[in-house]
Amino acid sequence: MVDVLSPTTPDQLRDAVGWALGSETPLEIIGSGSKRAFGHSVRTNAVLDCSKLSGILFYQPEELVISARAGTPLADIKAALAEKNQQFHFEPGNFPALLDGSTGPDAGTIGGLVACNLAGPRRIKVGAARDHLLGFEAVSGRAEDFKSGGRVMKNVTGFDLSKLMAGSFGTLGVMHTVTLKVMPNDETSATVIVACSDPRAAGKAMTIAMGSENEVSAAAWIAPEDAPHLDVPLAGEYGSGLVALRIEGPKPSVAWRADALCRALAGFGECHEVPESHSHRIWKVVANVAPFVASENSGSILWRVSVPPASGGDICAQLIEKTGGRAMMDWAGGLIWLQIAASDAAVAPDAMAGTIRDIVANVGGQANLVRASDEIRQATPVFHPEDPALARINARIKENLDPKGILNPGRIAPVSQNGEGA
Amino acid sequence: MPEPDQHTLARRKDIIAAMRDIIPSPGGVIVDDDQLRPYECDGLMAYRQLPMIVVLPENTAQVAAILKYCHTNKIRVVPRGAGTGLSGGALPMADAITISMMKFNRVLDIDWDNRAAVVQPGVTNLGITRAVEHKGFYYAPDPSSQIACSIGGNIAENSGGVHCLKYGLTTNNVLGVEMVTIEGEILRVGGKGLDQAGYDLLGIITGSEGLLGIVTEVTVRILRKPETARALLLGFNSSEEGGNCVAAIIAAGIIPGGLEMMDAPAIKATEEFVQAGYPLDVEALLLVELDGPQVEVDYLIDRVGKIARDCGAVYSRISENEEERLLFWSGRKNAFPAIGRISPDYMCMDGTIPRGRLSEVLTGMQDLSKKHGLGVANVFHAGDGNLHPLIMFDANKAGDLEKAEAFGADILKLCVAVGGVLSGEHGIGVEKRDLMGEMFTADDMKHQERIKMAFDEDQLLNPGKVFPTLHGCGELKTLHAKAVADKFPDIPRF
Repeated sequence: MVDVLSPTTPDQLRDAVGWALGSETPLEIIGSGSKRAFGHSVRTNAVLDCSKLSGILFYQPEELVISARAGTPLADIKAALAEKNQQFHFEPGNFPALLDGSTGPDAGTIGGLVACNLAGPRRIKVGAARDHLLGFEAVSGRAEDFKSGGRVMKNVTGFDLSKLMAGSFGTLGVMHTVTLKVMPNDETSATVIVACSDPRAAGKAMTIAMGSENEVSAAAWIAPEDAPHLDVPLAGEYGSGLVALRIEGPKPSVAWRADALCRALAGFGECHEVPESHSHRIWKVVANVAPFVASENSGSILWRVSVPPASGGDICAQLIEKTGGRAMMDWAGGLIWLQIAASDAAVAPDAMAGTIRDIVANVGGQANLVRASDEIRQATPVFHPEDPALARINARIKENLDPKGILNPGRIAPVSQNGEGA
Repeated sequence: MPEPDQHTLARRKDIIAAMRDIIPSPGGVIVDDDQLRPYECDGLMAYRQLPMIVVLPENTAQVAAILKYCHTNKIRVVPRGAGTGLSGGALPMADAITISMMKFNRVLDIDWDNRAAVVQPGVTNLGITRAVEHKGFYYAPDPSSQIACSIGGNIAENSGGVHCLKYGLTTNNVLGVEMVTIEGEILRVGGKGLDQAGYDLLGIITGSEGLLGIVTEVTVRILRKPETARALLLGFNSSEEGGNCVAAIIAAGIIPGGLEMMDAPAIKATEEFVQAGYPLDVEALLLVELDGPQVEVDYLIDRVGKIARDCGAVYSRISENEEERLLFWSGRKNAFPAIGRISPDYMCMDGTIPRGRLSEVLTGMQDLSKKHGLGVANVFHAGDGNLHPLIMFDANKAGDLEKAEAFGADILKLCVAVGGVLSGEHGIGVEKRDLMGEMFTADDMKHQERIKMAFDEDQLLNPGKVFPTLHGCGELKTLHAKAVADKFPDIPRF
C-alpha cells in the first residue's frame, strides 16, 4: 500500500521529510500530480503530497510580486493576477494537457511549475520560470529548512539557489513557498502571420524577425496539417503552414511595428496582421502545444528539442525527415516539439532517442522525452544525457543536499543498482 | 579573513617557479611588492592586502594548469577581473595567488543570427556593446562602471544597472560560460540554446563571487538597440510622492528603460558638479527613460507626464534631443564623484527594498544619520528598489571610518527588516559578509556552503568572502537524522 503524507504546514512538511530521512524511505513528491508522467517514474511506496500547502501569502501588484505556498493551484494564481491585469511574463502553457490529457485551462500547481522550470512562447524575450523566481523556502533532503532569495527584483545576497531549485524536479528540496515576479499585461498585442510550409524557410523568416527592431515577443511555426488548430480565418484560407510573430505593447507602437514586420518579411510569402483576439488564441495554442495534447494523440510519443534558435529550421526539417514525425517550432526555432507514432516499429525501444540526439548534437542541442509509455521511459534516458564533467558536479550537489537520496530518486535519471542516478 | 597559512608562505619560491613554468611570458607572474601594490584592493579601498603572487594567464589551458597546481598543493586562489568591484570580492590574501583575467580580452565570435556574442571574460561590459553597435545591437546590463568593469566580474557579481528593470540583470542575459574548476577541469555550461541538461549551474555560477570556479569564456545575449530614447525629469516635494509616482507608472503597465531617483542632498551635489539643469527646490527627482520606436516613446512620454501630474509633480521637463537626454543622465551617472567632491570620502551602500517601503527607509536613514553623526545622500534605482546610500566621512579623522561602517551596517539591517536584501548588485564580498546572519539562518548558510563544497571541497577559491564562517567539511557532511517515527499524528496520511 502506498503511504501518502499530506502536510498542511511547513513544520509538518519538515517532519514528514524527517521521517523519510530517518527511515530511509524514498518519497515521490507531488503537488496536484499533474506532471507525474514527466521524467522517470519514482519507484517508491511513499508519496509526499504537497497540495494542502496551499494559498496566496501576499500579492502586491504595485510591487510586481506574488508569494504563495507551493501547492497553490496555478488556476487560482492566474485568476488573482488576471483580476489586476497582470501575468507571469514567462506565460507557462498548460503542460499537463500534453502529458496525460488533463482538462481545464491551467492544471498543476505553482510549485510544480517552478520545479519543472516551465516557460511559454515569450521565453525568447523574458526567460523562463527561473528568471522570475525571486525566492523560495524549502526543506532539503536533510530535513532542514532552508531558503534563498527574497521578494525584491535585484538581489546578490549569497548564491542564487532559486535558479538551482527551478528545474530541479524536486530532487534537491521540497519547496513550500515560492515568490515570483509578475508583470502588467501589455496594452495590446497583434500577430503577423506569414504563409510558409517549409520549416527551413520558416526558420529563416523567424531569424530575420528576431534580428529586426520590432521587439518580437514570440515566434512560432505551425505545419500545414496543424494550422487549422489555430482557428484563425486567414490561416485556414492559406491552406499552408504558418509563421506567427507576436508584437506587444502600446497601441500605436504595435501597429507601427506590425507594419514594419510585414514589410521585412514580404519575400517569404503572403503576410497579414491578425487582430488582438485572434492573436491571443494563436499564442494559447502554441503555449499549450495544442496540436500535440495527449487527449487527441493517444499513445504517441512527444519530444521536446532545444537548439540555438537560428539552427531550428534546419534541425526541424531533419527531424521530420528522419523520424517521419510531426513538428512545431516555438522560441524562434529554439524549441521544437516533435511527435512520433508509437506504433511504428522503428520507434521501439528507445523512442528514436539515438537518431534524435545525434541530430541535435551537431548544434549543441538537447532532446528531452516528454511523453511516452512507462516502459519506454524506463528503457531510455528521458532527459538529455549530461556532459560527464557537469554530471559529476550535479551528482555532488544532489548528494550534499539529499545525502540519503530520499527526494524523488530516479526522477531525472533512472535509479541504477547502486542507488540514485545523476 | 582566514589566517595566512605559514606552510604556504614558506613555499613561496617553489610556487613562483611553478607559476613561471605555466606562464612563461614576461610579466605573466608578478612577485615584487611594488608591482603587486596595484592589486592590493578592488573598488572597496578601505580593505587592502598585498597578494602573495599575482598571475596573468593568457589562455584556458594555463588557468586549468594553475588551478590544478593550487588544488594539488592546497594553495588558496583569489580571482580578479578589472578590480572595479565594490564589496571587496577581489580582496587579496597574503597566502593566496591572485589570478587576474585581464589578458582574456578578445571578442571571439558574434553570432548575429542567434543574437549572441562570445567573448573572453576580461572584455569590458561596454566593450561588448562597442563590438556589436555598428549593426545596431547592444548588451543590456549597464553597471555604472561599464567602461572599465569586465564581463567576467559582472558574472561574479550578477551586476545590474539602470536598464535592468526592463531588460534584466546579468543572470538574465548570460547564455553560457566556459569555466575552470579548482580541480583544473574545464566545464562548458549553457550555450546558445535556451535549455541545459541537469541542474541550472549557469544560474548558480552567476553571482557566486568567484567562489565556484574561474570563468574563461562567456556567451551573452545581444539585443537590437531601441530606435529612440527620451527622458523625463520629474520633481516632487517629498520622496513619498516620488515613490507613489513610480508605483503608478508601473501599475499603468509601463516598464521604463530606466527609472532612477535622487534625494535632495544628491540633487544638490550633482547639480553643483555637472550642471545638468536639475531643480534645486525639490525633495525628490525622478529620471524616467522610455525607449523603443519613436511612436511608442512619444505616446508613453505623454502618459507618464500625466501620471506624474496626478501624483503631484512640481517640476517636469522632457528631453527634446539626444544631447539633452544625455545631459539629464550626466547628473545621475556622476552622482558618486559629485559626492566625492563635497566629502573627503564616501562609502556606497547597496541594499534593495520593496519599493513601497521607500519613504519609511529614507526617514529611517535620516534618523541613523543623526545617530552616527555622518551625512548621507541617496541615489537609487527606483524601479526595482535598489538603494545606493552614499555615506560621507573623512578617513583621516579618527573613528570616522568605523562610524561609517556602523552606519552602513545599520542601513542594511533596516533594508532587511522591511523585507529587503543586503545587496542588489555589488555582492557581499568581505564588506557585508558578517551581516549575512541578518538574512539567513545557520541552516540557510550551510545549504549554500554545501553548494560551494560541490565545486570546491577544500575551500580554496576566494575564501573569506560571502560566508561569515566556513564550516568544516565534516560538519557540513554530518547528517542529523531525525528520530524515526511512524507516527507524526498531526500529518494527515492516506
